[in-house]
Amino acid sequence: MQQREEKQLEASVESLISRVAHVKNSLHSFIYKLENEYERLTWPSVLDNFALLSGQLNTINKLLRNEKTPSLRNQVIIPLLLSPDRDEDLAKLTEQRVPVFSHEIVPDHLRTKPDPEVEEQEKQLSTEAARIGPEVAQKQIQTLNKLCSNLLEKLNNPRDDRDAESAAIRQNKPSFNPADTNALVGAVAFGKGLSKCRPPGPVAPGHPGQGAMISGGPTLQQVTIGGGSGQQAGMGGPVAPQQQGQPGKMPSSIKTNIKSASGSMHPYNR
Amino acid sequence: MEAPPVTVMPVTVGTINMMEYLLQGSVLDQALDSLLHRLRGLCDNMEPEPFMDHELVYLLKGQQGNPFILRARRSLSHATAPWHLRYLGQPEVGDKSRHALVRNCVDVAASHSLPEFLNEMGFRMDHEFVANGHIFRKGAMKVVVSKLSRILVPGNTENTERLSLSYLVELSVLAPAGQDTVSEDMRSFAEQLKPLVHLEKIDPSKQRH
Repeated sequence: MQQREEKQLEASVESLISRVAHVKNSLHSFIYKLENEYERLTWPSVLDNFALLSGQLNTINKLLRNEKTPSLRNQVIIPLLLSPDRDEDLAKLTEQRVPVFSHEIVPDHLRTKPDPEVEEQEKQLSTEAARIGPEVAQKQIQTLNKLCSNLLEKLNNPRDDRDAESAAIRQNKPSFNPADTNALVGAVAFGKGLSKCRPPGPVAPGHPGQGAMISGGPTLQQVTIGGGSGQQAGMGGPVAPQQQGQPGKMPSSIKTNIKSASGSMHPYNR
Repeated sequence: MEAPPVTVMPVTVGTINMMEYLLQGSVLDQALDSLLHRLRGLCDNMEPEPFMDHELVYLLKGQQGNPFILRARRSLSHATAPWHLRYLGQPEVGDKSRHALVRNCVDVAASHSLPEFLNEMGFRMDHEFVANGHIFRKGAMKVVVSKLSRILVPGNTENTERLSLSYLVELSVLAPAGQDTVSEDMRSFAEQLKPLVHLEKIDPSKQRH
């Protein structure tokens, strides 16, 4: 009698092992595909892989529920020997995953209940669930469903909400005016369209530079700026031609500029 | 040994060699809200900084040739903030492979006596204007949406008149010379603002007349 039970147990464990090996193989190949062939992987083939896994897990579940399978819950496993040393046989058996059968890992591997913290959380959740009456729960479910359907509707019909805005943009209602762009760029670049103001206040009478400024001082708008012709005049003042790709030259030209200016125009000539 | 005069001291500070990459465009007043909304979504997660600045452009005329230009800016909303002095070099627009205008750029913070100092040096103010609007940032990119106003009575920033019915939109990055990859980032950012605003590389010399 006992022998028969033992045989049965052995058989069922064996078939369980082979099923689990199947799952492991398909998981393995799926992960390999995800990691190495993700560029060519199509969504249908991903779904196929999921279907395969799900089918295999179902088979295992069926096997466990089978009447012929003895209740594994009644089988007790006791760790007889713990050792901190490396066990080559064990490592080979577990594909190098568990090299040592020590007090550190045994509680993890032979655990039949969740972690104490997880158990605590679960208990809390179940008391919470029990506290809420079925009517309240029903109400909450309805509210959530309503929210979800509202959200879905909004996502599916984005046109209604954005109609006004997009229509304004699409229907020949321009949001910018190139002429305005040019006017504004001209204004910030050299004061085009801005009134010329030369407040006389801060300039001391008899200032050496003053006469020159009033009589011959060009305003910014009159200055010619070299266009695409490569002419190097304008904003930089009497600047040595600035070579492209050598912007480092620029500071030195500033320097000379200020120097020459201080020589020619500064009231207190050195 | 006596130290050399300031004017011949070599400039050794690293930031001096910065280039400004610039794209410009404009947006009509009525489309401003849509643009701000989009920028809020695209840019770094922050509330746009409002600003109101007064810019004075100074010229220094040499013996011959063209004047030397400096731009002084002060904040009207933060009266105690330092002035900002800026030199902008000749814009380079010719290179077709570059998607943005590039120009030399030197930024310096200055004390409140900057106008007097520039006057003493022989600079004269050519024009001034008030710019107010919002600043957005996205990484190194800066987006400034501003309304320009002309000043009716010289020096009085209370009495202004807006220049046009549009806001100026500028996308700029400060980068060391030769880092042209930033212009790629700017172009892809500008693409996301279409068709609301078309940010372009605009040659200012073409807007002169």
